[in-house]
Amino acid sequence: MQHVLACLSSAPSNARIIAAAARMAQGFGARFTALYIETPDFAVASAADKQRLNENTRLAEQLGAQVETIAGEDIPFQIAEYARLSGVTTIVLGQSAASRRRILPRPSLTDQLIAYAPSVDIHIIPDGQFSARYRPKRAEDRDAAGIVTDVLRSIGSLLAATVLGVLFDNMGFTDTNIIMVYILAVMLISVITSRLVFSLIASVVSVFAFNYLFTEPRFSFAAYGTGYPVTFITMFLTAMITGTFAGRYKQQAGQAARNAHRTRILFDTDKLLSVAQGREEILRALAGQIGKLLNRTIVIYPAENGVLAEPLTYGHGAQIPCDGQMEREAAQWAYTHNHRAGATTEIMPEAAYMYLALRVGERVYGAVGIEAKDSPLDASENGILLSILGEGALALENEKNAREKEMAAVLAKNEQLRANLLRTISHDLRTPLTTIAGNASSLMSSGESFDQETRRRLSEDIYNDAMWLYNLVENLLYSTRFENGQIDLRQSTELLSDIVEEALRHIRPGARTIAYSAGDEYLLVHADARLLTQVVVNIVDNAVKYTPEGAVIEVVMRREDAMAVVEIADDGPGIAPEETERIFDKFYSGANKSRIADNRRSLGLGLYLCRAIVQAHGGWIRAGRRKPHGAVFTFAIPLKEVTFDEDLSGSGG
Amino acid sequence: MKTYRVLVVEDDAPVRNLITTTLRANDYRYIAVSGGEEAVMETASHNPDIVLLDLGLPDMDGVEVIRRVRSWSNVPIIVISARNEDEDKIDALDAGADDYLTKPFSVNELLARLRVTQRRLMIMNAGGASDSVFVNGQLRIDYAAGCAYLGEEELRLTPIEYKILCLMAQNVGKVLTHKYITQQVWGSSWENDVVSLRVFMATLRKKLHAAPDMPQYIQTHVGVGYRMQRVDG
Repeated sequence: MQHVLACLSSAPSNARIIAAAARMAQGFGARFTALYIETPDFAVASAADKQRLNENTRLAEQLGAQVETIAGEDIPFQIAEYARLSGVTTIVLGQSAASRRRILPRPSLTDQLIAYAPSVDIHIIPDGQFSARYRPKRAEDRDAAGIVTDVLRSIGSLLAATVLGVLFDNMGFTDTNIIMVYILAVMLISVITSRLVFSLIASVVSVFAFNYLFTEPRFSFAAYGTGYPVTFITMFLTAMITGTFAGRYKQQAGQAARNAHRTRILFDTDKLLSVAQGREEILRALAGQIGKLLNRTIVIYPAENGVLAEPLTYGHGAQIPCDGQMEREAAQWAYTHNHRAGATTEIMPEAAYMYLALRVGERVYGAVGIEAKDSPLDASENGILLSILGEGALALENEKNAREKEMAAVLAKNEQLRANLLRTISHDLRTPLTTIAGNASSLMSSGESFDQETRRRLSEDIYNDAMWLYNLVENLLYSTRFENGQIDLRQSTELLSDIVEEALRHIRPGARTIAYSAGDEYLLVHADARLLTQVVVNIVDNAVKYTPEGAVIEVVMRREDAMAVVEIADDGPGIAPEETERIFDKFYSGANKSRIADNRRSLGLGLYLCRAIVQAHGGWIRAGRRKPHGAVFTFAIPLKEVTFDEDLSGSGG
Repeated sequence: MKTYRVLVVEDDAPVRNLITTTLRANDYRYIAVSGGEEAVMETASHNPDIVLLDLGLPDMDGVEVIRRVRSWSNVPIIVISARNEDEDKIDALDAGADDYLTKPFSVNELLARLRVTQRRLMIMNAGGASDSVFVNGQLRIDYAAGCAYLGEEELRLTPIEYKILCLMAQNVGKVLTHKYITQQVWGSSWENDVVSLRVFMATLRKKLHAAPDMPQYIQTHVGVGYRMQRVDG
């Protein structure tokens, strides 16, 4: 897959580059990433530059780019590294960036990029009216208080150095020690002030102060010693260079710290998102991370079926209500247009929150609101926020894909089951229907010519087949109540013996004997009477169906700890050991079909339903073998314990 | 012997046909209608002896038909319902239906229910309700003495068992729902009362069923209620 990378910068011409890259990405059907390399200079960039960078970032975002921020000094190396790691196929650059040259003859950005990443296409976009060389400006509007502090600090440091120098001079130390003290002061200034210019001025001042105070003739800027000019120049250069390095080091340290912070948050986010189960947890992890980063209240509107659901609020810092029509509309706008809205933006700026779309490319998974009424986010916060949102959206997308895949699998399986069911049913219905229709038509056309016995036999066959069909329809109907694992139980407290007796009333055992014993105890269960009756009907019916005439079917009830147990045993041929588990499977109708007493196949639904019903009641069911031969079905459901107001064994009346 | 007039309310033509054929073959007179409005009208104008009412009617809920008829008539109503309409069945009984049949039913079952209802009618018409002694087969209840006997043996019943037995006897042949019985006996129908009812009923049935070859006086209708049947001899 193609992957287009545009480099973000604070240059006014950058918008053109982003637009061109976006068009290209769209043309290729490619992924589109906007990359910003945050150099140490960024901290001192002017407000206008920062503002423009924000605008460019937003534009990229709006055009469907994934915005990434990387900190580093070597711009071409960072771009090339990113391109290599992210599988970028095309890099889009502006002309000015491409042709920018330093004072020292260095290879152009393009040349370096080609050297670092030779396999990537590089497109250069002409800057048009912006071709005038653009240089990022440093911030000029620093607050006066900052400058005053810096000036005071510089003067203080230099004064301290001078006092120390006078002290050393009086103690008879050599000039070298005094020079060292001044260099130390310059270094100190470069660390404690925020701009290089102070250490530069301090170097100059310290050279003149040294000259004025400590070289013969004292208190004049003249110097007798022939070596002094060299000393002064060396001192100036040393002070300046150490000062510059110290300052740069300080900036880098700051940046490294910021970098580490950002990396840690992104790493944590990644880790949290990867362990989050389900959408709810992903959203919570996401909100937690953003909240931790920004220390603001976060509100998330997850999208459900194309509309925003009820918002989830995660408190951090000041709690500002995020309800109200305005907030919702702003969130909806951000969601619909895939563009930020609300506070600090042009769209509905009256809202208390700034809303960003939670998205992967063009697919939006919701809107995230960040409380930003009075304090807009700065560029670095913005960058990392976009990264976190990107991660979150990706996690949501993965979760959605996984869920869809699972649903599709379930759907396919259900479809398969349904097809099986229809096939089995249509096949199995045909046999009894043929008998019913055939016998009925015989009775209609020539009923008078049959003798009494023949008519009775034909009618009985019709009746039996109709009852068989009826039971099958019952099972099908009950099994629909267990569709998709949703169980619809209508429970009430029942005497187990009532249920079993009711079930036995529906059984036509033919030439088999049913020996039923209720036991002495009253077993009360909290059960769906109809469904539990069907369990007993199905098991006893099976016993009748699979045993030869003359067989005895025993139905026994007893208490076992906190369970009510029903055991149904027959002395027929029994079940093969390898089948005792499988017979409860849906549509399993026995490996050895010849065992079935009548020639009709079973639908394989009865025992499946039994297990489903018993399990829904919190019980268990199992099949076993009986010695010397026969099958035993045992099922148990929890007993309902009750207390009574009246002594049951009392007498009178 | 009296010929009974039965109003058949059933919208499904084959089932209606089955019922009317059965009635004709067994010397009943009948009127067949297919809707609830018609049913209410026919009950008012023809004053049938028994109503057979299908619950699933196209124009009106069967339970509503019972409520309307019950506002002026005590005609016995036997409800016919599909098996998955347990709640409807109970509603119908609570609304005043006397008995129910579950589809699919056999012709013999239908005829048996009709006979039970006829006997109820005979007792009602004979004005036997005011008798101070109730007799059903070997079961004898002496209301005045507050005692019940099975054959010559006095039954040892708890006060609640006795109360339930009297209630069943006064409504012999009629299915009483759990709710109805608990309300009559306890004055409420809390879940706990319904649970107690199950156990009292079980002990009562056991006491009434002293020998295995004896008939069951009280029938259990799982999920619905209980009924005392008339026992011969």
